[in-house]
Amino acid sequence: MLVELLIVFALMAAGLVLLAPDEYAGQFAAVLSLVPVGVSLWMYSVFDGTGNALLSGGQPAFETMASWITLGPYAINWHVGLDGVSMPLIVLTTILTTLAIVSAWTPIDERESQFYGLVLFMQAALIGVFSALDFLLWFVFWEAVLVPMYFLIGVWGGPRRKYAAIKFFVYTNVASLVMFVGFFTLVFGLGDSISTLGLPAIAQALNAGQLGSVAGFSPDVIKLAAFVALFFGFAVKVPVVPFHTWLPDAHVEAPTPVSVLLAGVLLKMGTYALLRFNFTMLADIARANATYIAIFAVVSVIYGALLALAQQDLKRIVAYSSISSMGYVILGLIAFTPHGVGGATFQMVSHGLISGLMFMAVGVIYNETHTRMIGDMSGMADRMPVTAGVFVAAAFGYMGLPLMSGFAAEVLVFMGAFESTTIPAAPLFTGIAMFGIVIVAGYLLRAMQKTLFGPFRLETDYDIGRAPLQDVAPLFVLLALVIALGVAPDLFYRMIQDAVFEVTALGLGGGA
Amino acid sequence: MVSAFEFVPAIAVLPLVSFVVALAFGKWMPKKGALAGIFATAGSLLLSIWTVLTVAGILGSETAYHEEIWQFATGIGTFDLHLGVFVDPLSSLMLLIVSLISLLVFVFSLGYMNDENETGLPRYYASLSLFSFSMLAFVFADNILMAFMFFELVGLCSFLLIGFWFREDAPPSAAKKAFLVTRFGDFFFLIGVVGIFATFGTGLFVTEAGFPAMAEQAISGEMPGTVADFLEPLGMGAQGWFTILGLLVLGGVVGKSAQFPLHTWLPDAMEGPTPVSALIHAATMVAAGVYLVARMYGFYLLTPTTMGIIALIGGFTALFAATMGVVKQELKQVLAYSTISQYGYMMLALGSGGYVAAVFHLTTHAVFKALLFLGAGSVIIAMHHNENMWDMGGLKEKMPVTYWTFLSGSLALAGIFPFAGFWSKDEVLYEALIHGLGDPVILVAWAMGLLAVFLTGFYTFRMVFLTFHGEPRTDDAEDPHGVRWNVKLPLGVLGVLAATLGFINMVPVAKLTGAHIDFLHKWLVGSEIVNAEFLTGLHVYEDLLPYESAYIAGGEVPTLLISAALSLGLALAGVGLAYRLYAVPEPVEHTKKLGGLRTLLMHNYYQDEYQVWLAEGVTLPLARVADTFDQGIIDGVVNGISSVSLFSGDRIRRIQTGVVSNYAALLTIGLALLLIAFGIVGGWF
Repeated sequence: MLVELLIVFALMAAGLVLLAPDEYAGQFAAVLSLVPVGVSLWMYSVFDGTGNALLSGGQPAFETMASWITLGPYAINWHVGLDGVSMPLIVLTTILTTLAIVSAWTPIDERESQFYGLVLFMQAALIGVFSALDFLLWFVFWEAVLVPMYFLIGVWGGPRRKYAAIKFFVYTNVASLVMFVGFFTLVFGLGDSISTLGLPAIAQALNAGQLGSVAGFSPDVIKLAAFVALFFGFAVKVPVVPFHTWLPDAHVEAPTPVSVLLAGVLLKMGTYALLRFNFTMLADIARANATYIAIFAVVSVIYGALLALAQQDLKRIVAYSSISSMGYVILGLIAFTPHGVGGATFQMVSHGLISGLMFMAVGVIYNETHTRMIGDMSGMADRMPVTAGVFVAAAFGYMGLPLMSGFAAEVLVFMGAFESTTIPAAPLFTGIAMFGIVIVAGYLLRAMQKTLFGPFRLETDYDIGRAPLQDVAPLFVLLALVIALGVAPDLFYRMIQDAVFEVTALGLGGGA
Repeated sequence: MVSAFEFVPAIAVLPLVSFVVALAFGKWMPKKGALAGIFATAGSLLLSIWTVLTVAGILGSETAYHEEIWQFATGIGTFDLHLGVFVDPLSSLMLLIVSLISLLVFVFSLGYMNDENETGLPRYYASLSLFSFSMLAFVFADNILMAFMFFELVGLCSFLLIGFWFREDAPPSAAKKAFLVTRFGDFFFLIGVVGIFATFGTGLFVTEAGFPAMAEQAISGEMPGTVADFLEPLGMGAQGWFTILGLLVLGGVVGKSAQFPLHTWLPDAMEGPTPVSALIHAATMVAAGVYLVARMYGFYLLTPTTMGIIALIGGFTALFAATMGVVKQELKQVLAYSTISQYGYMMLALGSGGYVAAVFHLTTHAVFKALLFLGAGSVIIAMHHNENMWDMGGLKEKMPVTYWTFLSGSLALAGIFPFAGFWSKDEVLYEALIHGLGDPVILVAWAMGLLAVFLTGFYTFRMVFLTFHGEPRTDDAEDPHGVRWNVKLPLGVLGVLAATLGFINMVPVAKLTGAHIDFLHKWLVGSEIVNAEFLTGLHVYEDLLPYESAYIAGGEVPTLLISAALSLGLALAGVGLAYRLYAVPEPVEHTKKLGGLRTLLMHNYYQDEYQVWLAEGVTLPLARVADTFDQGIIDGVVNGISSVSLFSGDRIRRIQTGVVSNYAALLTIGLALLLIAFGIVGGWF
């Protein structure tokens, strides 16, 4: 019942905060959000799931199942549970939510109770996405995330917030629709072999080759079509080049705390779903098209990094670099090796922390200077030494500095991809993708040199001083987590390995 | 009795503690964190000495140590990643060098930074401690992933320290360049690391299950299963693939050890505080590259192509950098180019099979280059932070301790008998010669290295004479600022070592007299550790060596003597020329006579220009094109689709006129069209 507790508590907290007066809403929300943090950490410490929740032999932890609706031949259940992939993502979600709330205290100064209420509502939906084991339940949460995000960008965002919010909403909603159609094609194809819309049942039936033909199309065609539809649906969310253009706009317009959640958790919905659907349910199709998927991955890495290099707005730099980092996740997933898929999953968590850290660091500077443009300032380290120090640490974390989580994630992905026999010419693909680590150093070092170092200069007319503690404290928490996971990736990596190991054997012609 | 080996991790951890202490509490501490660093590195030094004594077999029979200390990432059905400690003669020697130089640099920093009232000292000492930590942990790494990790951290520390004076424009720029150029090398290195793990399933340097041992098996025909599994789909032979892996790892080495063409960051790195330069050049960052090749020498020995390339890069860099050192006007710039050149010698030695010679030169160079930089630091304090040698002159009388120790270091650098550098450089060239006689590639590399000896003698003593001899040329040189014990003490220690350290491996004397005094040789390869647990592939170094030795003038001893005479003669010729031109009361810039060549040298062969062009003239415009493409085409399509739907929605809306007859017409037309369509499909017509 702990998953339910998390979701219900977050929803109740959202309601309470909505009713709270604006002056105290931030503090109130932060205190309330500590409960899910505590609960999720406790869940992590007693986690006893084994294997992959979707595959036979997997036993998710904190599993509950209750009958909900019966829709024709299908039973739709309230079915939740956590395995080694979802548990770290839940911890990531709860921690980032609290930190995002604290980091919002300074920049958010109107309609606070609504803002924090929406953030907590989104947290509930996110936890649902990562824990649901029934398709319809999962889909409800999946869509529910969009609504608060739309308002968070559209109400509290920058000058072009309307455009960014609508673009985000329409783009991801169209993607959801395509994905939904694709998935239901599979469900119809499975016919009588499933009696519920439970994800484990569907995954196991698909891997057992029970897909029949639909409307005269052979199972292979159905599978391929469904794969493409699902891939498109999730690729928009990740985002994979060329479906990425909503992301920079959304990030630039969104206030800092929202960017933190968008980059830190929302993007992971896409890669999480790719892992669950495309690479677990339709592993054979993924393998057969490994070349194309690897090309998507490599293009995302290199092209995203090049775009980041061309930007002048600090937030845009981080936004584009997220595209690049998520490319590594795709590369790891398609490798179908234990370190590839495991590293990709670890990268989801790691990137969530590091991109959150990076956005917050940019946000702290913005709070003081009211600009994010590289040309508008230099020598900020002179006035904001602590912030600059954390900024440097965050940037190096982003560059994959060893003993920080990004390095562990990337090196695992690289190792997994390099030895992959699924990707043709895997060493070549991996080698090209790895050039991303040079470009990332290029744009982040350039950004740091121009904004933090050199003689102090600020174009905007603000009297800047040291950032307040409430702005800097979340940075230190994140930095500590990034270092902890970098020194001891096994904190999460063991359970991740346990959950993804069986995935790497899927789609080789045999059954699940 | 407790073994020193149990405390080896502490050698690195002590500076890590001092990093945390200096960063968190340095502001409130006396000397702003320097003391934490001094105590930590002193502790590291003591532990290193203890370790060396243990490895020497003086304190017991256990003379090597290998232990996994931290499980990093656990794989299921695949390999694990871990951190471990490996202590053998090579790593224990390096631990000793690094901790000694680190300690001396900390002490010197009291004079260079604290006494000069610098700000930001806690940050300085924290970075310095982190630097020592990273390097020490790199040295005792038992696998290549761990080596890479600390290799990168060394890069971070150099970034922090080169850019220490961040309020100015030049240091942050130099720091960026240093990190970026070495990152470019590390990109190849990381591919190599990943490739080694993918190929062998391990990155261990040691044991029978380590990758050098497995590679040896694979080449000798007993292909281990994991290697075969990897190579088969790749369709490559073991030899060819190992050559590629070796070259990839070499990318990192070339970057960090500032070899051509990735040497460009190093001269710029002089923007950092001088003690940092001493640390970077003598014992940490730049040494890391060469040390890495030595660490996995058992692997490199298997691929002659790689060995030849290493030798060529080394010989070429030695000569190439020396030519640039000839025309430089700033004290630290001369030293910077000398560093590049000297590491070229080490690479030359490694590539031509002179493992011991390379480590020997690494050792002596660590001492004399640290000495020269600290000496330069002392001069810079005296000159109120003016580094131009043309503004100096006549400092000899004013600062005797600095002069005599600097002279000792210079004699070592120039390779003058009997100073340390003579013995090690001589051995490098001797090894290159005897192996080069049978291999034209090595011979070419040797010839370049030999030519560089003359230039080294020349630029070194041009520097000495311009700085210390003649008449003072400015007011600052007339009345230099004094230095205290904290500067003189490190200089003294290193000055004595620079004069005497060569005696640990006097190969020519050993060969001539038959006395067994080539201690370093015995230390590194004489102990014959054949225990499978500590196998690095090096125990059979002489068997594996891809070169035949050949001699001239009828044997080993004459060859040895001719080689030594040749290098000493050239060095002396260089010193002599410098004496003639610059040891005069009022020297003039003779290099101006070089004309266009001088311009070329002053611009460092335009190496910086083309690299900056690659970054700013190619990559950046490419990024801008990508950005335009992204905004215009990709996002344009997205926005286009939305405009089309808005537009068509708007048009279709106009059908809804509200006039019933229009609707009726539409219905009729629609029905007719449907009927025709069905008719065609159904075959009614």
